[in-house]
Amino acid sequence: MNLNWKFMISDIPTVLSGLWVTLGLTAVSYLGAILIGILFGLILLKKVPVLYQIVLVVNTVLKGLPLILQLLFCYYAIPQICKTLAATFAFEYDPRNQNYFLFAAIALSANFGAYMTDLVVSSYKAIDKGQTEAALAAGMSKLQGILYVVGPQALVIALPGLSNYFMWLLKATCLASVVNVFEMTSIARASTAVNYAILEGYLVAAGVYWIVCVVVERLLIGTNELIQNRTGKEKSYA
Amino acid sequence: MWRGHELFLEVLPTLITFIPVTLFYFLVPTVISWALGAWICRVRIGKKNLLYYVVSLFVSFFRGTPGLLQLYLVFFGLPKIAELFGYNINTWSAGIFYIIATCFNFSSFVSEAFRGAYLAMNKGQMEAGYAIGFSKLQNFIYVIAPCTLKVALPNLKNLEIDLLKGTATAYVIGLVDVMGRADKFIALHRGYGQLWILMAAGLLYFIINVAVEFSFRGFEGALSKAERG
Repeated sequence: MNLNWKFMISDIPTVLSGLWVTLGLTAVSYLGAILIGILFGLILLKKVPVLYQIVLVVNTVLKGLPLILQLLFCYYAIPQICKTLAATFAFEYDPRNQNYFLFAAIALSANFGAYMTDLVVSSYKAIDKGQTEAALAAGMSKLQGILYVVGPQALVIALPGLSNYFMWLLKATCLASVVNVFEMTSIARASTAVNYAILEGYLVAAGVYWIVCVVVERLLIGTNELIQNRTGKEKSYA
Repeated sequence: MWRGHELFLEVLPTLITFIPVTLFYFLVPTVISWALGAWICRVRIGKKNLLYYVVSLFVSFFRGTPGLLQLYLVFFGLPKIAELFGYNINTWSAGIFYIIATCFNFSSFVSEAFRGAYLAMNKGQMEAGYAIGFSKLQNFIYVIAPCTLKVALPNLKNLEIDLLKGTATAYVIGLVDVMGRADKFIALHRGYGQLWILMAAGLLYFIINVAVEFSFRGFEGALSKAERG
């Protein structure tokens, strides 16, 4: 196979510059997903009348649709929403200068937020009721009970799931290259425009992804084991 | 949006005719990947010889890189490899490249699901099988496979649903399934109605997803019923 090795080596710094966008997109979407997960999870756990049904439907739909479809949907829908809002509230909106990064982040957080919701609900339910009662008996308020007693324990249970979703999300951000986000994959493709060495560009990107994924996975497993040992729980395999 | 719902109703029948295509690209990789995954699992729980390390590297790569990127790598790389052996496969349809890429990717995940389940299995079961005079093959069919499958099934269900949703990604290399046809519709009606077309495609994906979910639930129920006797 006659790969253009020289180009591959010279392409590494270019592709690496896209790594920060990928990691940034992952971090932003992950935070968004956790916020959505906690919000939706609380609604499901507290059984808030109307919101409960809405969250159930939204969750099912988000989990039942392909991620690429959701990304495309946000890509087409958000500019239209912005246009309508700009007309109603009379603020500056420039259709030529879209923030595609934000669109992709919204779609990714919505999608992973649905999975996070399940994680929040299941790990909260895994904590014994007696813990809440003990917190109340010790004179804590309900919020304090959640913050200091149930929350930390639920977090330990949720950790393997949280790290799994982080890995999924890191790989899923690759799909954002389809909707005009300049992250690692699209930068790798764009960098090959000079000599059409598309395969070489993608190989470099795949190599970077592989290394990052293996390193991040090791770090997450290490952290998990450390925390599980500290809390005296059984060893878990994330 | 004016006449948006009309567009929705207009594209829906055409998209429905592409459901078999999506199902084909879902079922073929499933069948191949389960077989390949079982073999990879067998290698990875066995002796640590050269094959073990090669297969482990394979699994690590395909679990550690995004599926979309693997699709591109196979799509652009496989013709170059075939060229070495003097074959020209540039005329192959995108579907074949998609199936190959997905089998690599999916069998890695399936093998890990199998491996986790095998490691969780009580080894006493296997010994009991040998003790009552089962051959290796019989032991696999009657003891190891059912025990492993039962533990791996919830995991496999999630993977299968991910695979089904992943088929939507195939349109980037020009495969025409439900999503690919929807993309063509979007290109055709340039400038308006993309949301309605995407909604029509989404509706179909949702329905297929629900069907897959329920068939797995039925399978799970049948398995636990068979276990209870």
